[in-house]
Amino acid sequence: MDRDNKLEHRCLLLENREVVPGWHLLELQAPDLVHASPGQFVQLRVGRLTDPLLRRPVSIHYAEPEKGRIRLLFRVAGRGTALVSGFKAGDNVDLLGPLGRGFPCLDEEEPAIFVAGGIGLAPLFFAAAQRSRVSLPFEFFLGGKSGSLLPPEGYFQAHGIKPRLVTDDGSRGGSGPVTALLEEYLETNKAPLRIHACGPGPMLAGVVELARSAGAAVHVSLESRMACGVGACLGCVYPFRSGDQVEYRRVCREGPVFNGEEVLFES
Amino acid sequence: MKAEPQLALELAGIKMNSPLMAASGCYGYGFEYAGWIDLRDWGAIVLQGTTLEPRQGNPPPRLAETPSGMLNAVGLQNPGIDYFLREVRPRLGELGCPVIANIAGESVEQYRELAAILDGVGEICAVEINISCPNVRCGGISFGRDPAVVERLVSAVRRVYRGPVIVKLSLEAGDLAAVGRAAESAGADVLSLINTLKGMVIDTACRRPFLGNVTGGLSGPAIRPVAVRAVWEMAGAVAIPLIGMGGITTLDDALQFILAGATAVAIGTANFLNPHVARDIKTGLRRYLDREGLHHYSELIGAAGSALHRR
Ligand SMILES: Cc1cc2nc3c(=O)[nH]c(=O)nc-3n(C[C@H](O)[C@H](O)[C@H](O)COP(=O)(O)OP(=O)(O)OC[C@H]3O[C@@H](n4cnc5c(N)ncnc54)[C@H](O)[C@@H]3O)c2cc1C
Ligand SMILES: Cc1cc2nc3c(=O)[nH]c(=O)nc-3n(C[C@H](O)[C@H](O)[C@H](O)COP(=O)(O)O)c2cc1C
Ligand code: FES
Repeated sequence: MDRDNKLEHRCLLLENREVVPGWHLLELQAPDLVHASPGQFVQLRVGRLTDPLLRRPVSIHYAEPEKGRIRLLFRVAGRGTALVSGFKAGDNVDLLGPLGRGFPCLDEEEPAIFVAGGIGLAPLFFAAAQRSRVSLPFEFFLGGKSGSLLPPEGYFQAHGIKPRLVTDDGSRGGSGPVTALLEEYLETNKAPLRIHACGPGPMLAGVVELARSAGAAVHVSLESRMACGVGACLGCVYPFRSGDQVEYRRVCREGPVFNGEEVLFES
Repeated sequence: MKAEPQLALELAGIKMNSPLMAASGCYGYGFEYAGWIDLRDWGAIVLQGTTLEPRQGNPPPRLAETPSGMLNAVGLQNPGIDYFLREVRPRLGELGCPVIANIAGESVEQYRELAAILDGVGEICAVEINISCPNVRCGGISFGRDPAVVERLVSAVRRVYRGPVIVKLSLEAGDLAAVGRAAESAGADVLSLINTLKGMVIDTACRRPFLGNVTGGLSGPAIRPVAVRAVWEMAGAVAIPLIGMGGITTLDDALQFILAGATAVAIGTANFLNPHVARDIKTGLRRYLDREGLHHYSELIGAAGSALHRR
């Protein structure tokens, strides 16, 4: 029996381009995935053999329903992503998805603040582009190691995104952590506003702290290692506050986007 | 016209349309895949482990990838038997295939109590007793080592559960055959093997164990030859049917277990790579039987050798 809801998709790779050193943009023919919402992800099979064994979770970076295409943006972090960086146009890419729950309330009037650390911009780019298309207000704060390791302005402008940048070495934008941009913004702009963040754990913890003191709503996209990607193996959990208890929730199913206030970040 | 080769079987009374089963802990309660996968591709689904009380499970990270395998240290996270009966049980009929509960306890008494609670629960067609989990401290595997304890535990369950009783074994048992025979003589209807093998990965950058639980259970293709050997040996030791598992990803893998003496096979980790693995192996098995001129897959059970007759 063929179900309407397909989980596995064999997608034609149209282009694999190295945007900046170590970051690859995959453009895929994937008509079944174009209605994914920002923050959802796919489980990408990195090889045909059993080593590496597991699929790798990658956020949907952009979708073009008119063309039936999606984009994935990933950083080469290890063996799996190194294999994917070698994929060639014309290859078939095996994806499961769209998976998980994305960023909420992206169509609301109140200003949205996107805070991205490095490759954390992948899902936030999609969310911001969606707001830009319908002219809803937003800010995009982006932090990275060095200017040359972040995509050029044009990469964002084509989608109506004008990111404010900071880099660790000050080579582009100011220097310092991306949370400093958020802090500065929150000093002059008061709630109601909605913060969406994706990046390394300590950065997310900082964002949630700032949001809490400003009384702003905050959602974070979390990362964890995954096996099934659909909620069946309980392998991808993250700790959450539930009353005075710790509760483990599945990043792949209840997330990857969560209310930041409930996440128990490592201190 | 050639008759279609048959895959259907009755495993200790459980009517299955094929010998392929979803392995416990790898398929949630079935619902996680239900919207996407035709669950009728499974002969039966074994649900994730259930305990008397809710269990929070182990701290993350719970997964580590290894060469052609993975370690998991979930630690039996589950909402407990009361929640199971209240929230999960009423929906199990939607799955459209036989459902088997998997139970784990911290004492013989807890196993007995769980089995007694599940006795007569119509949505469940059998219980699988997990006495081989490497990820829980005061339960699981410690019960599976000693034939005397296994005998006591299985008898206790047997007395209160009227449906088929499946006993899930690990290789950590010193004398696998003795443990299998103990389960058999205590009234087990089926043995399933193997559970994951205890392993460990060290994060060299941080110079400490990678998993939150320090150790985890190894599954996937890496354990397959060991699992095939275990099934082969057990087939020579007991007369009751076996469910073989451990690293099955392809038709050839499944055939190895059947030829070694398994009546049915379970698939866990391979679902994560190929969510259509049941459909693919089922189709492959039909074609194989056709090609080989066989009428029923059961002609292959134990056909690799004389293991069955060594008893
Ligand atoms: C929901 C979700 C969405 C993601 N979206 C993207 C994306 O859009 N672009 C992108 O570049 N990356 C994304 N990631 C992270 C990506 O999945 C990992 O970088 C990738 O799995 C690493 O695989 P590897 O084999 O290359 O590295 P490995 O050799 O497995 O590991 C290399 C390093 O990365 C760490 N690591 C491995 N897997 C993960 C993981 N899943 N999460 C966090 N750290 C990990 C390891 O601890 C190690 O330090 C996402 C992760 C999740 C959970
Ligand atoms: C993530 C995960 C969770 C598991 N949880 C259970 C469990 O709760 N109870 C159980 O009896 N076996 C459990 N197992 C073991 C599997 O059912 C199976 O015996 C083992 O993984 C070998 O098969 P495979 O290589 O096909 O995965 C689990 C395995 C994995 C990978
Ligand atoms: S990856 Fe299996 S439950 Fe999330």
